Amino acid sequence: MDLSRFLNSVQLSPQSKTMTELLDLNKKIKEHGLVLTPNDVKTLITSRNKVLHDYARVELSTEVLKELIEVFAASPYMNQEHYVETLNDLQEIFYHLRNETEDKIGDVKLIHQMMEDFNGPCAGSVELLRSRMEQLAENFRRDLLSNESSFEGDDKTWN
Amino acid sequence: MELDNSQDGKRSISNIKIDRSQLTRNQYTMSLLYEGQRVGLITGQKVYQIQIEIMQILQQLIRKHTQGESTSVTSDKAQGIMVSLMYAMDAYTLHFNEPEEAISHLNTDSVKKIHEKGLELLSQYFEQSKQLYREVVEMQLDVPVDAYNMTIDESLPVFMNHYDIVFEAQNTMASIDYPLAIDDMRLQGVFYMKQYLERLLMETKFCHLFSHSDLMYVLKNFGKKHRFNYQIELFNIFELIINNAVFSLLAGGKANEVRISDFQYEQLNRMFTTCDADQRIRLIHEAFSRLQEELQTDQALNHYIDLYRDELIQRVNNATEIGNFEMLIIREEEEREKPMVLMLNENDRMSDMKMRELVDQIMESDNLEEKVRIIRDHFVSLHDYLDLLNSGSLFGDEYDALFATFGDIELAIFAKIVFYEELRGDDREFLDIVADGTEASEEWEEKYMEFMQQLDEARMKEVGRLIYDIDYEEISFY
Repeated sequence: MDLSRFLNSVQLSPQSKTMTELLDLNKKIKEHGLVLTPNDVKTLITSRNKVLHDYARVELSTEVLKELIEVFAASPYMNQEHYVETLNDLQEIFYHLRNETEDKIGDVKLIHQMMEDFNGPCAGSVELLRSRMEQLAENFRRDLLSNESSFEGDDKTWN
Repeated sequence: MELDNSQDGKRSISNIKIDRSQLTRNQYTMSLLYEGQRVGLITGQKVYQIQIEIMQILQQLIRKHTQGESTSVTSDKAQGIMVSLMYAMDAYTLHFNEPEEAISHLNTDSVKKIHEKGLELLSQYFEQSKQLYREVVEMQLDVPVDAYNMTIDESLPVFMNHYDIVFEAQNTMASIDYPLAIDDMRLQGVFYMKQYLERLLMETKFCHLFSHSDLMYVLKNFGKKHRFNYQIELFNIFELIINNAVFSLLAGGKANEVRISDFQYEQLNRMFTTCDADQRIRLIHEAFSRLQEELQTDQALNHYIDLYRDELIQRVNNATEIGNFEMLIIREEEEREKPMVLMLNENDRMSDMKMRELVDQIMESDNLEEKVRIIRDHFVSLHDYLDLLNSGSLFGDEYDALFATFGDIELAIFAKIVFYEELRGDDREFLDIVADGTEASEEWEEKYMEFMQQLDEARMKEVGRLIYDIDYEEISFY
């Protein structure tokens, strides 16, 4: 059984719960002058499913996509013209980062870190964000490794 | 399908029988569902409903795993959790005596309930494994066999500390080196560990039926016969002991004896080679039965020994075929006087400070003869020599100059280290082993090989002869 396909499958029909929930976000993002059409949402979901498949991940809901839509709508660097394209890039960066940080950082924390860098040092550049996130993952893994090695050798104490 | 719950709550199971040969030990529930559906004990619709329920439980488990911190996991992790879920369900379906009974529960109970019951069982098996481990530790044999000791002291605690019943129940966690006489490697997770511990405990208890000196006698002579350091080799102690006990009985000795004299060895040799295969099998079976009777082994151990019987019969048959029982029947190997030049005991090594001081002197000197003189005047322990050689303080022809000062026995000791793998049970002559060379992991080993390869044949033969006078036990490696 292809678990990832089964668990990641999200209905794309206009009536589906996921479509409705995502389109409902328009109420929140319109204050930033942004809007998502049903076609935009379809593109985002298709992209999400592809990225999850490419990064060999399984997701039970679309909470990450919702969070990205909402959080990045508030960015001063976001505009309607590149909104969907940027969100697709952000999804890709997010799931790549998720794998690279070995699932040790929560979704919300990761998204907010991305947002801080996107709005700050990256000044809205997705490419700069990608490279900064690579660095973050590398630092994270190095810290993880040094912490792990300092806890080695505890197993002999079992009784 | 004729399945119903009768009024007194007991299950009435239909006359339809499942073909047991279609069931698999791993993924038992899935094989039950396939086979149950085939013979009509469960409907396709019910099987589909069970699959949907399994996916729902999987989703709940993934959420639980991420503790609400994340909505996604890697596919590998999801797959692992799925296998773990099925493993727990298998624990429940496997605990019924009859597969038809298990199917009746799959028909009536929810997957949630089956999974929970499975987790309860796994938890019980895990607790039983912990208890078994405590008993193994209490009974642990006092023998210098690294794989045996490290498995008990280091590997098994990894399982005890990290076994994860909910998310990774199928994972055995620890890497177990010590081989059992009879091991079912198809098992996984706690099923494997519980069985491993039960068998390790039985084997250990069996070995306690023999004196410590007899155990050591078998181990040491086993190492000498195979020309290897038994302490670092992978082999099963129980097998060696039970084999020799069976041989002892066959040669007129007692069941709790393992020492085989040369006379008994010849007797066994004649017995096995003169009788036909059927007689041989009968004799060995009789000896096993007498051993069980005389040692009053309990039912579980008897069953385990019975599983092992065919293994020994096969080995005796193989040895008979090649006409050589030397490697199978362990007997006293001759001890010879050994002139030792190097101190082999680890306690004889010099202090770190002294070592550093001498290495500095050697490195600072630009005179080849002086370097060699410093080494020969101050280094007496094999361990110090190894430390020096591994430190990379010597270069090019300095190695040759040093090796040239070595006596035959010293060369033989280093040959024992450099050609360990080749000398271990290899039939080739030492001359050929040196000529063919080995894969050197250190520069000094490479240089040592080159040095040996240019020795004259007579000297090489003498070094080769001395090699068999050295016990690996006397060299505690690194």
